[in-house]
Amino acid sequence: MKKMIALSLLLMAGMMLFARGSKESGKTVVEIWHSNSGPSGTAFDEIVDDFNSTIGEEKGIVIEAIYQGLANDVLTKVKAAASADISSLPDIAQLDATACLDMRNADYLILPESADIEISEIHPAAIEALMSDKGLLGVPFNASSLLFYYNKTLFDSLSLNPPETLDDFAAIAPLLGEKDSTGKVTRYAFAGVPATYELGAFIGAQKGLSYIVDEKNGHMGTPSKVLFEEDGTFRNFLGHWKALYDTGFVNNITSGISTEFAAGRTATMLASSSSLTAVINTVGGRFEVGTAFVPMTDEEATGGVNIGGGAFFLFDSSDAVKTVIEYFVSQDVQMKWAEDTGYLAINTALYDNPEYLAFLDENPAFKVATEQMLQSNPAVTSIWLPSAYQIYYSFQSEIRAVTEDGKDIDEAVHDMATLIQRAIDEYRAQNID
Amino acid sequence: MPAIALALCFSVIPFLKTFVSSFLTISQSGKAIGFAGLDNYKTLFEDKAFISSIGNTLRFTLYFLPLNTVMTFLAAALTRRRRKCTWIMEAIFITPLAFSLSAFALVFKEIFRGEVSIINRILHTSLLWLDRPGSAMAVLVILGLFLDFAIDYILLTAAFRSIDRSVIEAAEIDGAGEVRKLFAIETPMIATMLSITVFMALKDAILISAPVMILTEGGPFRSTETIMYFYYLEAFKSGNRAYESAISSMMVITSAIIMGIIAVLRRKDA
Repeated sequence: MKKMIALSLLLMAGMMLFARGSKESGKTVVEIWHSNSGPSGTAFDEIVDDFNSTIGEEKGIVIEAIYQGLANDVLTKVKAAASADISSLPDIAQLDATACLDMRNADYLILPESADIEISEIHPAAIEALMSDKGLLGVPFNASSLLFYYNKTLFDSLSLNPPETLDDFAAIAPLLGEKDSTGKVTRYAFAGVPATYELGAFIGAQKGLSYIVDEKNGHMGTPSKVLFEEDGTFRNFLGHWKALYDTGFVNNITSGISTEFAAGRTATMLASSSSLTAVINTVGGRFEVGTAFVPMTDEEATGGVNIGGGAFFLFDSSDAVKTVIEYFVSQDVQMKWAEDTGYLAINTALYDNPEYLAFLDENPAFKVATEQMLQSNPAVTSIWLPSAYQIYYSFQSEIRAVTEDGKDIDEAVHDMATLIQRAIDEYRAQNID
Repeated sequence: MPAIALALCFSVIPFLKTFVSSFLTISQSGKAIGFAGLDNYKTLFEDKAFISSIGNTLRFTLYFLPLNTVMTFLAAALTRRRRKCTWIMEAIFITPLAFSLSAFALVFKEIFRGEVSIINRILHTSLLWLDRPGSAMAVLVILGLFLDFAIDYILLTAAFRSIDRSVIEAAEIDGAGEVRKLFAIETPMIATMLSITVFMALKDAILISAPVMILTEGGPFRSTETIMYFYYLEAFKSGNRAYESAISSMMVITSAIIMGIIAVLRRKDA
């Protein structure tokens, strides 16, 4: 027994020493919950380490970066922490567009304006993506957009250019696809089923600018009405998409798409520009990866793509947080971040930076994403909706029903509109306080 | 007494609170802002996604329950007598207890991912396992087997081994064969334990969510979205308090009924 007591006392003493060791003398800790993994995770860690050993060392600030899963998981945890105990929130959380609706209504959020953060160098499209009626909600950090990935080696061997519209795509799909002697498709022209993210561009770009719900896609207030049914934009998209599907070379899969792409079993796919480095790594030189603008729904769909990706949301307004945020949006950090991952550099000063321009010239796949952003209408924005998860899956289900089961397009549009309308109504009923 | 206090604190009171709030309109920040009556339940049952999640859960249960019962019963029956090498089998069957189901789910996800998946290499097939509703459900059921297998196996072998030897010896003297002995003598004697494992599996099947979350995320096209996963999406992802309290009230009552049956069965045994 005595031995036990002695041992446990020893252990406790050890733990106290250790605990003291981890809390460095007098430094301010800035806690960040983030969602970066893979190449982005490595880059993020390097950026954080860099801060801690330079600026942080000088000013007595330590960034403590905690990986909390996907952006959506970070949101779940932030909400849980906020409802349990506000003090358990981190100083900064990296969240994406699906968080904006919650964040706009969160009384614990500190707006960048109140934290006195300088945003004049940040690209307007990235600002617009996070702008609400209450002001800018967060500081853009990891901005990205939808991007069209294609097997450049295959396209070159067929002397084809990436399609500009969905109709162009339908015309070349049979050339891109391949069947074996039994008629089984061995290579598809496209793999994937569009969901909210893709439709943000496919619907949003129509007629130069279209919204899915009112209040500018929910940015200027809780939405009250679905617009795509009246506007006919979803219907228009489904018509063109079905024509593409009917070529027989579209694979309606919802997982493992980039694996299929890397294995050469699909000629093209749509994915976030932020996946660029990861995709190139997975392909591993088996073929050249090309990127292009997302095909337009029709000739009049000139709005381009919306800026998605993520941003830093603040729950603390100290000077240390301000220093950290300004470090993350600085030229050097944004350049490293963009080059390592494929995220869009949001610091406009970089667009004249010779070092960055040289990188883009050497890596055309990275250049396309930036050009697409610069040519898009900044007003085409991401959609802030309640029940984002369910709506995401329902879009896929309706598109599958139209393409595979021959469901009537008008009926699918109506069902989808009804579903979103109900989610909006429920959300409004719960948020009249 | 302490047990009752704990139960009151951590399950009964929260449940009553949830049950009451399932009849109220609750704001996202958790404040009660009005009386809803049965509206929360009504909208829930008008939701196609919820109805299909009930269907998916029932389908899962329908495949999982018989398969799980037969597999664990066979494993236990075949190793019920201690012989020289049964410990090897026992060790293999009990191993799943040492790993979290989530870890299995991640491994499964890798094995079945895409057309160039490991499983397709082995079987020389080109199935998109996790991208077709039928096969995704099948993979989920197979994964689900790891959920209860080890614990059911332990319970059943223990039951087999606690049977009074004299009964079996008497049967042997009367000339009963192995199969006959198993089904006519031993199985009836462990019937209670067998039904307990069945009901435990039933409860687990109805409440299944973690493997769904990791393996399929409810996909493809929400075909593997179970009630509890639907609940998770609504409650934690969307913050829909109306659904949250309505579903959890219903699920607590359902599993309470099942646990009640188990309790009655156990009493019968004692």
